[in-house]
Amino acid sequence: MKRDPALFLALVTVWLSFAVFIFLPLVRLLGATFMVQGKISFVNLRSIISKSYNMRALYGSLILATAVSVAGTVLGYLFALAVTRTQISAFIKGVISVVAMLPLISPPFTSSISLTLALGPNGMLLKALGIGSFSIYGFLGTWISETLTYFPVAFMVITAVLNTMSATLDDAALSLGASRWRMFRTLTIPLSMPAIVNSILLLFGASLADFATPLILGGHTFPVLPTEAYLLITGMFDIKGGATMSFLLLVPALIVFFLQRVMLGKKSFVSVTGKSGSRTEFARLPRSLEALIAVVCTLVAVFIVYLYAIILWGSLVKVWSVNNTITFEHYRYVFKHGQKAIKDTLLIALVSTVIGSVLAVIIGFVVQRKQFFGRRFLEFSSMLNYALPGTVVGIAYIIAFNTKPLVLTGTLSILVAAYVFRYYATGIRSVIASLEQIDPALEEASLSLGAGTVRTFTHITVPLIIPALVSGMRYLFIHCMTAISATIFLVSVRWTLLTTRILESMTELQFSQASAFSMVLIAIVFLADILLMYLLKFTTAKITRTQEISYEQIGA
Amino acid sequence: MNKSALDLIGVSKLFQKDGESVLAVDSVSLTVNEGELITFLGPSGCGKTTTLRMVAGFELPSSGRITIQGKDMTNTPVNKRGIGFMFQTYALFPHMSVYNNVAYGLKARGEKDRAIRTKVREALQLVGLEKTEHRFPNQLSGGEQQRVALARVIVMEPSLLLMDEPLSNLDAKLRIHMRTEIRKIQKELGITCLYVTHDQSEALTMADRIVIMNKGKVEQIGTPFEIYSNPQSVFVADFIGQANIVPLEIHGVEEETLSVQIPHGGLFTARALRPDRFEKQDTIYRVGEQASLIIRPEQISLGPGPAKEDHFPAIVESSMFVGSHIEYFVRLYNDTTLKALIPYQTGMHIFTSGEEVELSFDVSSAVFLPA
Repeated sequence: MKRDPALFLALVTVWLSFAVFIFLPLVRLLGATFMVQGKISFVNLRSIISKSYNMRALYGSLILATAVSVAGTVLGYLFALAVTRTQISAFIKGVISVVAMLPLISPPFTSSISLTLALGPNGMLLKALGIGSFSIYGFLGTWISETLTYFPVAFMVITAVLNTMSATLDDAALSLGASRWRMFRTLTIPLSMPAIVNSILLLFGASLADFATPLILGGHTFPVLPTEAYLLITGMFDIKGGATMSFLLLVPALIVFFLQRVMLGKKSFVSVTGKSGSRTEFARLPRSLEALIAVVCTLVAVFIVYLYAIILWGSLVKVWSVNNTITFEHYRYVFKHGQKAIKDTLLIALVSTVIGSVLAVIIGFVVQRKQFFGRRFLEFSSMLNYALPGTVVGIAYIIAFNTKPLVLTGTLSILVAAYVFRYYATGIRSVIASLEQIDPALEEASLSLGAGTVRTFTHITVPLIIPALVSGMRYLFIHCMTAISATIFLVSVRWTLLTTRILESMTELQFSQASAFSMVLIAIVFLADILLMYLLKFTTAKITRTQEISYEQIGA
Repeated sequence: MNKSALDLIGVSKLFQKDGESVLAVDSVSLTVNEGELITFLGPSGCGKTTTLRMVAGFELPSSGRITIQGKDMTNTPVNKRGIGFMFQTYALFPHMSVYNNVAYGLKARGEKDRAIRTKVREALQLVGLEKTEHRFPNQLSGGEQQRVALARVIVMEPSLLLMDEPLSNLDAKLRIHMRTEIRKIQKELGITCLYVTHDQSEALTMADRIVIMNKGKVEQIGTPFEIYSNPQSVFVADFIGQANIVPLEIHGVEEETLSVQIPHGGLFTARALRPDRFEKQDTIYRVGEQASLIIRPEQISLGPGPAKEDHFPAIVESSMFVGSHIEYFVRLYNDTTLKALIPYQTGMHIFTSGEEVELSFDVSSAVFLPA
């Protein structure tokens, strides 16, 4: 470090920002939970636990997370099989992929709103099917909605692994006399086990943290921790109670996070051969499984499309299920009264994306390329806010930044900080992954030619990781546009968000308005996404070439 | 006397790996003269690349000193050492044209555009690539990429050129062509050069001197001829060229020679080598102990048996006709198997497996080494 003042400066900056925006809030949250009149005390915890309604929220959260992680992983696996192991045309595979990715880029309310419109009181689908008494509110609705929202994560994780398997293994199994079922059971499933476990953990964490879905669909019969914590704070102004509730949520979330890191640490035993097996095709799946995949994927894909269509329909009718006259009045309302929310959301997302990207590059770079004391701890810390449920982070932020020395509540900076330190994680990951692909000799070559570390970083490293960075930025931006769980606590009269406007409309039972807001938000995210993808193509046009050679250069 | 271009003084490198420390380089000392080309040769993991990377400044020595042209550079950062480094993977910047790759170091040094242009063109001309300026690395063949990498280094006029297996990614023919080319340019420009390789023919043909490394230590430093004809250890003898190593019991120790008793045969004497690290012959060879006799396959001759007193009796295990030579494997009575290469002459008798033969060799060219 003595030889590298730039590294020293970077580390000081990063650690300082962590101290303020990661550790301070966490410490204050634990303080609010366990400090009573300057002493460590379990009074708060005991009083929360003693109420049976709160314990039901804890169990509810855990049961829901388990159910969502299992159902989502199974669904994701079936979709992944459809894309990687069936003979359906590339076009249909493309459609399936796009449909499966829709929920990932939509605001968290989308599926809850459309489920309400379809299966709620006066639900469109209920009417069509002639079902009278049915309540979507409670465990069932929350479960369906969260499964639909999060299975794309499982789909992505599992597809990646299924794609890297060597098809020659299939051939080997079949040539040794195995049936297709046996091959699937003894080869495909065991080799994709790391992805399955990882997907279960990811979905468990996501469901545990989900705030928006249970708020709309959970109702009083099915309380979960994030919503109860939120209601305690916003409804009863009980900060200590909210902090304690979020502590209950923090424990399982951290356990899942640790398990995931253990998983990541282990080298996957998937045979990534790259060369030898890539030419042959994967063997066909058993007939019955193919049929199951076809039925499930079609039904789910159609249902997802139906849900999106229903939101569009909902945003265009005068009064939902009462007056079906087509009108643009809700959109006029959105652009008139929601203009501030749109502008604010865009500004906050843009600022967060820029700051988050710069931080992601710096952190990803020092963690992957540099050796220094506390490197692993730095990486661990950088992921903390991402690992914690948004509700926990939001509550921690209001506790930490409501009082001196740093009064930030109601400002732009608190919203930006909440987003940056949560969602730059995908950026860091992709920067690290892309640096792993870049031969360190390139940087060494630059140094040996007399360039300093800073010049090497700006002229060699940064241009080469731009594609990874752009795709990381994409997720950062989408998250900033659509997230709500942390920021619901942090919005103010001065700064408001589209997602909170959607929530307001929903609680006022203005379904059409909520739908119009959602459509606008989805459109913005979609456009921005296309823009970023275009940017990605543009930046990679110059560099992909380069990555091809770097393989050649390595002599692979 | 030449001023030394580079001195390594007791340089060691300790790596921490999985909680264990590994001594990758063990007190290496070396003086390199101005304009010399030194190759580092050894099996993989012997510490040759680590040594080179310490000279470059990519790694810092755990102990010892490195001076370049008399200046202590032990802890100087890479970019302040004025060295040039060629990588196994070439490490051409993929997002820059050939011109910009070659100009990179000059720009970093802050030279004027006009000077840069002249120098880059000269360098590209020197490696025969003046027409590729605007191309990108991926539009070049492996050999061309290699030349760009060379141009990129020599344009900086480094005081020291370090090469880490630069030819190992080229096909065999191109490799032989490039090594003469590199050697020619190196001589023309008079650049001092350290060259790491695991290819012994590369080491033998290119080097002024060879450094043989094993397990982090220098086994021997010498000209290719010295290394081949006077190996100082069994490892070097075995590593360079082909060698038969026969353990024999010492019967007597003289000033320059050892005498040994042949199993089932008489006494014979051959030249004994005293490695530099020993002061006296009798500190390493003692009567009654074993020494290793080193015989190159081409030094052996075979005749029809049974063997005379001071020759080795042997049994032919296999014989193979390889055109210019006949390759024999013969077994001595102490069960050592030796390889012999006998030049083929028309009408020559070829021994067949199981035949008893008499093995002999020129004692003046065979040597003993400590076992």
